[in-house]
Amino acid sequence: MSGALLDLQDVSVGYNGVPVLEHVSFTIERREFVALLGPNGAGKTTLLRAMLGLTPLLAGRIEYGFDRLVSPPGYVPQRDTLDPIFPLTAFEVVLMGTYAKLPALRPARAVERQLAARCLEQVDLSALAKRQFWAMSGGQKQRVLIARALAAAPEIMLLDEPTAGVDHQAEAAISDVLAALNREHGMAVVLVSHHLGHIQSAVQSVVWVDEGQAIKQPAQMLGTVAAPTGFVRAPVAAGR
Amino acid sequence: MSLLLEIVRPGFLLHDALVASVLVGAVCPLVGVYFVLRRMIFLGVALPQVSAAGIAFAFFGYKLVVGPHEHFEMSERLIAVLGSVTFTLGVTLALSLFERRGRGTVEARIGTTYAVAAAATIIFLAKDPHGDAQMVNLLKGDILATTSASLAAMEGVFAGVVIVLFACRKELLLVSFDRDLAVVFGKRAALWDALLYLLIGVIISFGVLTAGPMATFGFLVVPPVTMRLVARRMLTFSLGSAAMGAVTAFAGFYCAYRYDLPLGPAEVGLASVVLGVVAAVTGLRTMAARWRSA
Repeated sequence: MSGALLDLQDVSVGYNGVPVLEHVSFTIERREFVALLGPNGAGKTTLLRAMLGLTPLLAGRIEYGFDRLVSPPGYVPQRDTLDPIFPLTAFEVVLMGTYAKLPALRPARAVERQLAARCLEQVDLSALAKRQFWAMSGGQKQRVLIARALAAAPEIMLLDEPTAGVDHQAEAAISDVLAALNREHGMAVVLVSHHLGHIQSAVQSVVWVDEGQAIKQPAQMLGTVAAPTGFVRAPVAAGR
Repeated sequence: MSLLLEIVRPGFLLHDALVASVLVGAVCPLVGVYFVLRRMIFLGVALPQVSAAGIAFAFFGYKLVVGPHEHFEMSERLIAVLGSVTFTLGVTLALSLFERRGRGTVEARIGTTYAVAAAATIIFLAKDPHGDAQMVNLLKGDILATTSASLAAMEGVFAGVVIVLFACRKELLLVSFDRDLAVVFGKRAALWDALLYLLIGVIISFGVLTAGPMATFGFLVVPPVTMRLVARRMLTFSLGSAAMGAVTAFAGFYCAYRYDLPLGPAEVGLASVVLGVVAAVTGLRTMAARWRSA
């Protein structure tokens, strides 16, 4: 494997032995910004979860260009998957990101708390550290979850629909944070989205996911070349 | 006031029972917060019933294999503990396995567990001619019969559980709040789940033996549900639930002693009154805030 952070080799993923995507092969390079695009139910989230090691592969393999135990990937789930019943402040949610490198039974100390505070600062939410996580707007929650992912000090960040259901202003704020992480800190970013919207200028590659396939293309080809046969172009257009 | 002083006096006749009662009230909510957060409240009804079935089965099995057991003896309590712990842990681990495999619905599994456990308790009791009032008392949780030996055992077990809960709070919170993230971080989520279920099983077993299924369920659920209305952080949620459980257990004991009421229902009833008051106050505050912002 070259300098790639992720190398998917003839991967098949699905549920209960039934493949959703088959023969998927592509790499994610360091500092690369990749968008997984495709219609609802095409398997974008399934593919992302496979990259995270959350969904077992039916076939093929994924090689990681980093030690997952030393530097686990930054994971930003869809915020609606987290239960609002937990009484947590924004800071407490971010602090959870530091647990990645904390050994079992060792509580978070001043170092971890300072790291969590810096990560909140990075997403411009220091002022809301004590705010109840569930009392925040959708865009703010998403930025808190990005800060939580940053607290694990990852080399790659994988996000599941980070701009879904947020207004244009929040979408722009999230996009700015991700673009800055990629541009200024060299962090590789992989995000699932229905449309690119504000983030389009930062995206370098697109993985089209549809009809059981996932094909990677340079982002420059967006709009100039037709999506692969059978792939839906509407989501990209919708984001413009 | 003099009655209150009489109760807290070390030489008080029911001193051990009072301490046991407060311990159950304080420690059950500490695991109960996870029932509430993981939305498994009905498991809090089913598991104490499973524990009761385990006690009844242990007596029934002892009678079959060894012969009739003697009441008021330490061996009787030991048999009860063995039955309770075995059944509770076995069923808890089985339920967690089903949960991981995602077969059926959670409600169906918990409902079935409760029905089977309740039926099994009655059948085992009916088949044991020694299943008389004393054993029924044990199943109901005969807290007034708490001895200094059983109290010492309970204190040791509960202290161990509290230490483990405190030491592992970071891991238990992570797997409860975002299990996927725990897996991404390379944490053994299934192992932490198993530990939590083990702690739950131990607390319920001893809680049922001491205070009975109803009071155990009450303390597992009512204080955390109450504190959830006001707590803004995990630590205050956990410690506040434990404090409320301890205070209502003590106040319930006082009321039961003062007005000659059954202890368990008095404690749970009092905790429920607190829940009602807190819910009403927070509801009114929310309404007032909406009215101001309108």
